[in-house]
Amino acid sequence: MDIKPDFERIRKTVGHREPDRVPLCEVLVEYPIQSKFLGREVNSDDLESQLEFWIKAGYDFIPLTVGMMTPGKVTTESMISKVIREVMLKDSPDADKEEAWSLEHTSFINNRDDFERFPWEIAAKLDFSKFHEIKDILPEGMKVIAVSGKIFTLTWMLMGFNNFATSLIMDEKLVADVFRKVAEIQFQGLEKIFEMPHVGAVWVVDDLAFGTGPMISPQAFRDHVFTWYREMATRCHRNKLLFIMHSDGDLTALMEDIIDMGVDVLQPIDPTCMDIVKIQEGYGDRLCLVGNVSNELLRSGTPAEVEERVKYLIRNVAPGGGYCVGSGNSVPEWAKFENYMAMREATLKYGKYPIQL
Amino acid sequence: MGNYLDQIRDAVIEGKHNDIEGLVKTAIEDNVNLNELINNTMITAMDVVGIRFAESEIFVPEMLVSAITMKKGLNLIKPLLKEEDAKSKGTIIMCTVKGDIHDIGKNIVIMMLEGAGFKVVDLGTDLNVEDLMQRIEEIKPDILGLSALLTTTMPQMNNIIETLESMRLRDSVKVMVGGAPVDSSFAEKIGADGYGKDAAEAVRLAREFVSAE
Repeated sequence: MDIKPDFERIRKTVGHREPDRVPLCEVLVEYPIQSKFLGREVNSDDLESQLEFWIKAGYDFIPLTVGMMTPGKVTTESMISKVIREVMLKDSPDADKEEAWSLEHTSFINNRDDFERFPWEIAAKLDFSKFHEIKDILPEGMKVIAVSGKIFTLTWMLMGFNNFATSLIMDEKLVADVFRKVAEIQFQGLEKIFEMPHVGAVWVVDDLAFGTGPMISPQAFRDHVFTWYREMATRCHRNKLLFIMHSDGDLTALMEDIIDMGVDVLQPIDPTCMDIVKIQEGYGDRLCLVGNVSNELLRSGTPAEVEERVKYLIRNVAPGGGYCVGSGNSVPEWAKFENYMAMREATLKYGKYPIQL
Repeated sequence: MGNYLDQIRDAVIEGKHNDIEGLVKTAIEDNVNLNELINNTMITAMDVVGIRFAESEIFVPEMLVSAITMKKGLNLIKPLLKEEDAKSKGTIIMCTVKGDIHDIGKNIVIMMLEGAGFKVVDLGTDLNVEDLMQRIEEIKPDILGLSALLTTTMPQMNNIIETLESMRLRDSVKVMVGGAPVDSSFAEKIGADGYGKDAAEAVRLAREFVSAE
């Protein structure tokens, strides 16, 4: 089975055509998994080793972050964390304490004054060094996917969820202004991305739903979030880039909106609350689906169970294109390495078109 | 008088946070039965809110604003209640388990429980078992509500229940669990007394527990 990177493989499947095999697709594979795969340590600074992982593991792209948050969570490396630590907590004795700077623990915009004081200009200085660095070492056929977005998540994290949720009704103008600022910073970053021919897609990572459904009403999403993503999709398509969206949770109530705003690829079709076969039946002709191999299965299952799940997904979702195999979120360090390998190997073994399962 | 009660009920359901204080003041001036106002009007209004949320007619923001509206009204009524009537429906300790800092769900459940008349002690996030046991011994809650978002932190719930048993505290407190990866079979497996899939179910469970006492 060919594992030579070829972004056309992704483009074809997004266009609902069958490439040579079902693509593998992840927004994030944590470094301990990458390290085990290569047999040596891979870390956030070691771009060459990261690239080697994504090539050898069989992916057609490498995801690089260009937002204020890293996918999934706020880390010490996240741009927003640096802004908070180095600017907002500059004179605070607690600046090094995670409870003081991490948006997972605390919030910074509780009212209009906080909004006005927030150092937006500094937060807007995004780091593109990895995008430049990778240009010369990227093999032919492989592309970078720029991981951006978090317009919804970063807004509520900056405000704290309860404050955000109540302000959405009680002080809607403030919420709209925070959304606008966060979105504008992402758009500034995108304009630079569009100048880079080695970027093949933009992947917005933004959790919009709980397991029970949307975190705010579909109408509030339309009013405050989807307008920005619609514009982002339009600009991506104008620049011949694919527009990919990640969201956890049950998105069923938002599916028509997601398609309507121009999302080409949706990931991960959260296996804890969504039935990918039903989603494919309802929307699969208008959207490419990615993922759905449960993270719980990757954590606690056996390689044989993972292989069965991948075969099920390939058999039921992959024929005709429009599907890439991947985890039910991202590949965390707590996934069993042998299960990650089983997911990858089953895709390469059974994913050859035409599907024979 | 009935009209006030209907208006107060609607204000809570619709989250009319700017209107509630005026309406409640008028009702108080009109010598409305305060217990009826709380139990038959405001708490039942929050029940409607819980049902609407469970049926996806409204979402978290609308539910939280209804809870805020309820609280604003209650703040005017509570000082006027006789000591006996001012008693809470029960005391509930809420926290996320060790290793889990995700508190959105817990905070929503707290607001709904308070709206239903419970006294809630929020012990926050990432709570270790020793600290939790100490607070349970101090506060003596009727109910312990545990939340976890991660499959990796879920086993802490089991650990807490086992510790409650070993410290002979298990019979004195009902344990309800919730969070994205948790389900009723997990709750049953670890010996919890109940599982709430959302805030409305948590309120229903809490009521069941205290009425059975």
